[in-house]
Amino acid sequence: MSGSLAWAAAVGDALADGGVDVAAYLPDSRLQGVLVRLAERGVAMRCLTREEECVGYAAGRALAGGRPVVLMQCSGLGNSLNALGSLVVAYGIGLPLVLSMRGTLGEANPAQVPIGLATPALLAALGVPVYPLRDPHGGDAASTVGGVLTLVQRAGRTAAVALEPELGGGRGAH
Amino acid sequence: MAVEPTDVAAVVLAAHPHALVVAALGTATSALRLASDDGPHLYLGGAMGSALATALGVAEAVPERTVVALLGDGELLMSANGLWSVAAYRPANLVTVVLTDGLYSITGGQPLPVDPCFADVAGALPGLTAARVSDGGNLRDALLELPRPALVEAVVRTGSRPGPSPFVDPGTVRTRFTAALRATAAERQDTGQEVVTCTADR
Repeated sequence: MSGSLAWAAAVGDALADGGVDVAAYLPDSRLQGVLVRLAERGVAMRCLTREEECVGYAAGRALAGGRPVVLMQCSGLGNSLNALGSLVVAYGIGLPLVLSMRGTLGEANPAQVPIGLATPALLAALGVPVYPLRDPHGGDAASTVGGVLTLVQRAGRTAAVALEPELGGGRGAH
Repeated sequence: MAVEPTDVAAVVLAAHPHALVVAALGTATSALRLASDDGPHLYLGGAMGSALATALGVAEAVPERTVVALLGDGELLMSANGLWSVAAYRPANLVTVVLTDGLYSITGGQPLPVDPCFADVAGALPGLTAARVSDGGNLRDALLELPRPALVEAVVRTGSRPGPSPFVDPGTVRTRFTAALRATAAERQDTGQEVVTCTADR
């Protein structure tokens, strides 16, 4: 298994091992390996139409006793802020977020840079911590994802994992 | 002819008395609070455009319960993409009810720029059924007879404003909604049966 697939499998395994039962997501190249692993582990997969919709869906699922995860590019975080602020945070719903980072180290598309740079601050402004993953071999996946799931499931907080560019699973020439 | 939003909420509750209702910010929440005597439903005090997605999440988490998304027309215009997700995953327990009056009531009654024709749109999607109704009898028939997932567009009286505030306390709403869910789950466990006390609830 290549390094880039190793981290993706480790993230998927950590989410499944932590009891996640449904994944609401928008497609993304770096997320792809995680999504494949989640599906292999029997997690229900819900490809929705917009990131804000993923947040609303996961909020409903969590309130009704489920254990969802939301996966998106950080560019989609901008679409999600009102749902995060006035539903997830306001109602005290703990959700784990997995953000595939754009606009940071090595970004070639200038349009992606502003939201990528702002992502940690946007989340911090809502009181949502974000923890980076950088090891392409997945050495930090279990502890970081597990820690985020503990924050969510036991402390009742929303928390995010940032999939950083060092992981690979990159953007190609585009 | 058109009905009052509160009458729509009352017909929904009468047709599906054990349903979990997710009500969008604005007229939907006010109407449901009034019709249900502030029952333990999931009222969204914000997050305009998120109520349908939230209802879809609830519906998939508790497939044994009827779940109703009670929305305004402005709300659904912000999130009509969610209809495609309903078409994709087709929960057999989800009914979407849209209060159509052509106005953004919560922001002062500004007109929608176009008739959203939600029933036509939903009816064109694979796996959804839809109807547009303008009186209580047809509304009840649609709620009981349409195969699910269904969308019922209820034409309501323009400018009608139900009484209670849509500005709910989120913590109280969450606590009451989750307690009501747990209570029904415990009831099922006690009896060893699904709670099916209404012939309308499938």
